Amino acid sequence: MRYQSQSVAYWYFAVAMVLFGLQLVFGLLSATKYIGPDPLLYILPFDVTKVIHTNLLIVWVLTGFMGATYWMIPEESRAELHSTKLAYVQLVLWTLMGVTAIIGYLFRYGTGNKLLEQPLPHKIVIVICMLIFLYNIGMTIRKAGRFTTTEAVLMIGFVSAALLYLPALLHYENYTVSIFYRWWTIHLWVEGVWMMIMGGFLAYLLIRLSGADREVMEKWLYVIVGLVFLAGILGTAHHYYWVGVPTYWLPIGGFFSALEPLALVGMAAYAYGAMRRSGLAHPNTLALHWTIGSALFSLFGAGLLGLAHTWPSVNKWTHGTLITAMHGHAAFYGAYAMIVMAMISYALPSLTAGRREQGTALGYWAFWLQITGMFGMTLSFATAGIAQVYLERIMGMGYLDAQLKIQIHFVMLIATASLFTVGVALFIYDFFRYTPRFVLDDTEPVLAEREVHPT
Amino acid sequence: MNNRQARLFAIAATGVATLVFIGLTVDSHRQFPKLTNADSITAEVKHGMDVWHKYNCINCHTLFGEGAYYAPDLTKITQHRGEPYLKAYMRDPSKFYDEKIHRRLMPKQDLAEDEISDLIAFLDWVSKVDNQGWPPRPILVTGSFVPGADTLKTGGEQRSDLPPGARPVDAGDDERALGEQVFRGAVPACNACHSTAPGADMAGPTLAGIATRAAAIVASPEYQGQAQDARGYIRESIVSPSAHIVPGAMYSADGTSFMPTGYDGSLTDEQIDQLTAYLETLK
Repeated sequence: MRYQSQSVAYWYFAVAMVLFGLQLVFGLLSATKYIGPDPLLYILPFDVTKVIHTNLLIVWVLTGFMGATYWMIPEESRAELHSTKLAYVQLVLWTLMGVTAIIGYLFRYGTGNKLLEQPLPHKIVIVICMLIFLYNIGMTIRKAGRFTTTEAVLMIGFVSAALLYLPALLHYENYTVSIFYRWWTIHLWVEGVWMMIMGGFLAYLLIRLSGADREVMEKWLYVIVGLVFLAGILGTAHHYYWVGVPTYWLPIGGFFSALEPLALVGMAAYAYGAMRRSGLAHPNTLALHWTIGSALFSLFGAGLLGLAHTWPSVNKWTHGTLITAMHGHAAFYGAYAMIVMAMISYALPSLTAGRREQGTALGYWAFWLQITGMFGMTLSFATAGIAQVYLERIMGMGYLDAQLKIQIHFVMLIATASLFTVGVALFIYDFFRYTPRFVLDDTEPVLAEREVHPT
Repeated sequence: MNNRQARLFAIAATGVATLVFIGLTVDSHRQFPKLTNADSITAEVKHGMDVWHKYNCINCHTLFGEGAYYAPDLTKITQHRGEPYLKAYMRDPSKFYDEKIHRRLMPKQDLAEDEISDLIAFLDWVSKVDNQGWPPRPILVTGSFVPGADTLKTGGEQRSDLPPGARPVDAGDDERALGEQVFRGAVPACNACHSTAPGADMAGPTLAGIATRAAAIVASPEYQGQAQDARGYIRESIVSPSAHIVPGAMYSADGTSFMPTGYDGSLTDEQIDQLTAYLETLK
């Protein structure tokens, strides 16, 4: 840690870890309901556990993003944060928003609009938190007078994320129109601006960890951002299949969604290339695992598994089945959960006392158990989904009858999800078992900052 | 490619994609009223949508295939189930399905009566939205188009107190329900050759819409049989398949239908009536 104010990141990460753990509790609860009968039918029915599961994901990933940004910006801009006080105020407000939203969901206090269930007061707090965050980061960069490309990509990502949340604040009387704008927030977040944020973190980590040349990395970052938006913006069309919009969205969705993996291939190639060609090797190999892992797992989960069901003539049969859950779990985990854990693993040795720079043995167990568990969960959803599509959609077996035929895949899901949970529990334990320590370390080598000097 | 060109690519790609996307959004708005029958979004439909949101329905069910995947898709539910059925169902789902058999049950929602009827109005509006013909084949809640594939076959352990969705039909049930049973249980089974899915012709033509077609056939000058009305025609087709030949080289040759004869012997008169009554519901 080279700037005192980077320590705020620790508390953001700590909150993210707690919420991540909680997310899995509700995920496991939801999974057991697939096997049923459900003893909690009138206490915690599926709709409640599911809404909490997905909302906790959004909240903890965003908490992680913000923590990681507070960590990264001082280093990139070479200055202390504009205001650590503001950062803490934001964290408290944000956490309160998250916790009260979850409690509200237990009592069905929510909008009932998929992924945008946050009640209006909570949505307004979300916007306020985002504004505080953007102001704080913006002022830091402005005062420092050093604005790197990596920061620019990250910042544009956050500003757009805030802007794209605005359509979610409105009420639409036509359900189809409401779906149309819901995806402006959800799709353009996860397949647009969040990818930019991820790309920003990835570039930062690769520059730091592999010592790759900043000039080269930032050039490729531009190319990746271009590819993300070229495919991602019009790729929104794949959410417009079968919801009551004009037919031209079908071919547009098919074509541009098919391009979406390009950016992910780019990221994976970029990560691999940086690792291979770099002269310097950072001692934190655990963070390197998470970084390369994130690039590869998102190529698999978001790219390949997305492509598997995005073509309209395929999606016609798979739409609204567990095939979507297969893609959703692998994509979110690979792209967002893993990049946050990469940033945490990178920052943690200098935020806690007595931790090995190269990562603890427990940290590696956490990494491999999670990867194995999530891969197994993806396969469980995939096998369940394929069987569901075949039985229910193609053969015409009733929904309830078809679900009974795929019980074994739900058993498999719970088994692999338990493995995944052990991995996450180890990660959380490993996070908290060393006490936080915020001392400036001037001797820390300034790795990879091979400034390009004009010759 | 240098850094400047890369940046230019990023900006241009984003700009072009955004422009096209906004243009298409404007055009979509132009088309929404017609595609979604916006003029039939009544106060009841709007309230029904609020009910849909209030009870968090989308976090178990799907609508237009969007939502959670824990409960059946409801896009076309009002085309599969009538209003009285849906009302009774919403009042107490456990009267219709048994959690011990299906392993899932919808919790009772305690909706007010106007909430129920408006929710049905909303779902009915949804079912009429022009959504590019999805689903390509009806998504059933229970049962099956395929012979013997569903869980609720006849025989085995039977309890008389089970709700209708969780037990085989018995003699006290509606004749159409009994007829559906005959459709699957006759020897040879009707559904071995006939599906009830639109467009899904098997060895025999699909029976989706048979009631409507039967009326048209009886009324047409090409009709060769003895029947006076649609019901009579369906009955005749069962007991005497060659009385009127449906065109198609895969269905008949030399004036003889490929459909097996002998149902007049293997089925009782009552069973044939039940089967006819069931087929008459396929409009």
